[in-house]
Amino acid sequence: MAATVDSPETRIYLDHGATSWPKPPGVIEAVANGLTVLAANPGRGAYRFALDTSRAIHSARRDVATFLGVADTHDLSFQPGCTQAMNLVLLGLLVPGDRVVACSMEHNAVARPLNALAARGVEVVVVDADEAGVVDADEVEAVVAAGRTRAVVCQHAGNVTGAIQPIPDLGDIAHANGALLLVDGAQAGGHLPVDLGRLGADAWACSGHKGLLGPQGVGVLYLAPTCEPAELVSGGTGGGSSEDPLQPLARPERYEAGTPNTPGILGLGASVRFLSEHAEELRSHEAVLVRQLHEGILDLDGFSVLGPSLGAPRVPIVSVVHDRISADRLAFALDRRYGVAARAGLHCAPWAHRTLGTVDAGALRFGLGYGNTPDDVGTVLNALRELVGELT
Amino acid sequence: MSVRQARLFAVLGFGSTHDALDAESALQGAGLEVLPIPAPKSIGALCGIALRLPPEQLHSARDCLAAEGISIAATSEIEDV
Repeated sequence: MAATVDSPETRIYLDHGATSWPKPPGVIEAVANGLTVLAANPGRGAYRFALDTSRAIHSARRDVATFLGVADTHDLSFQPGCTQAMNLVLLGLLVPGDRVVACSMEHNAVARPLNALAARGVEVVVVDADEAGVVDADEVEAVVAAGRTRAVVCQHAGNVTGAIQPIPDLGDIAHANGALLLVDGAQAGGHLPVDLGRLGADAWACSGHKGLLGPQGVGVLYLAPTCEPAELVSGGTGGGSSEDPLQPLARPERYEAGTPNTPGILGLGASVRFLSEHAEELRSHEAVLVRQLHEGILDLDGFSVLGPSLGAPRVPIVSVVHDRISADRLAFALDRRYGVAARAGLHCAPWAHRTLGTVDAGALRFGLGYGNTPDDVGTVLNALRELVGELT
Repeated sequence: MSVRQARLFAVLGFGSTHDALDAESALQGAGLEVLPIPAPKSIGALCGIALRLPPEQLHSARDCLAAEGISIAATSEIEDV
């Protein structure tokens, strides 16, 4: 099979770990609606055009909150993305002298702000995950208890391995030691059932454009009532009094200064409404595809799969390395010759690759999701088999 | 041209537009004649959304919002047509 031209009809898209594509029914229409019908500046004016836009965002917030198990919609803010949200949480909470315990699998959305905080005098202690990419709760507990810890920060699921971290246990550990649990949920939302009322996270952030199937440029941040980071950005909020010299403390406006991404939020509302009806079915489908891909790759010469062993729980990410062919060569050939979109490199997660021993060469990541089929996986496996024959 | 008679309305102000929209939804659900209006200076805010309703419904509105856990930041009155 030769795919010399990239086109939506022939593309086999396996980079859902970065951005989901295509979008489910209703998302494009909702985004368009945010540019046409519900396109006023929300949360400010009281004329009917603005009120209708405000109500649509209010409704999207309610739908997202319900999907994620957030009881009080005040605690859910819309953010430009998960990276911005995790920066808000980390930079807004931690001050010089604080101690934070992090998992070694963190994405740069967490690692870089932590590195910046370390340079300002925050003590950052990193706990290594095991070879499956999972952090050991007992080890975290020992490290947390070894000092006065302000927060534990951990991904919900790994963007390199797909491994699922023991978040409820980490919540118990953090709270028993007077610390907060801050969770990067970028790879979990949509792919795992998430009930934030029971998870144990004091803060949980997620991209809108990955497993939640929404557009790029929007994410969500849940903050438990007891978790009050300082806002990263101050400015217009519409509510309270414009005469206040400082950012009002009322949620969610405190964390939403400036005009929101209305088309993105409405698109996310539509995707979450879709997921509310189809998430379970989609997760089962993803699990079947992951197993097919994982099993098939293990049958191929020279490949190994990073992260959890076959059959162990993971979100639909399967990253592989070959003992003789570099990930970048494989990714290029897959795209240009077979129309398979997959991502080689470090996946913005050098900590994770260092933990896994792949930081020098990186890995080839397949992120499965909405729209993928068993035939897609079969094509990838056949392509890899051919490439191994040709390139070794 | 007929002259419309001004009526007196109760005005409710909220700490955030989020609360104002929650309150609108709750009061509509309770069957009250609530209408969003630009927040008047008399409730202490210069921008945002307030809710107006007939003054005889103010007591019911307070009860409804208290039951829903929505705080009223300020109340006032306004004459409108």
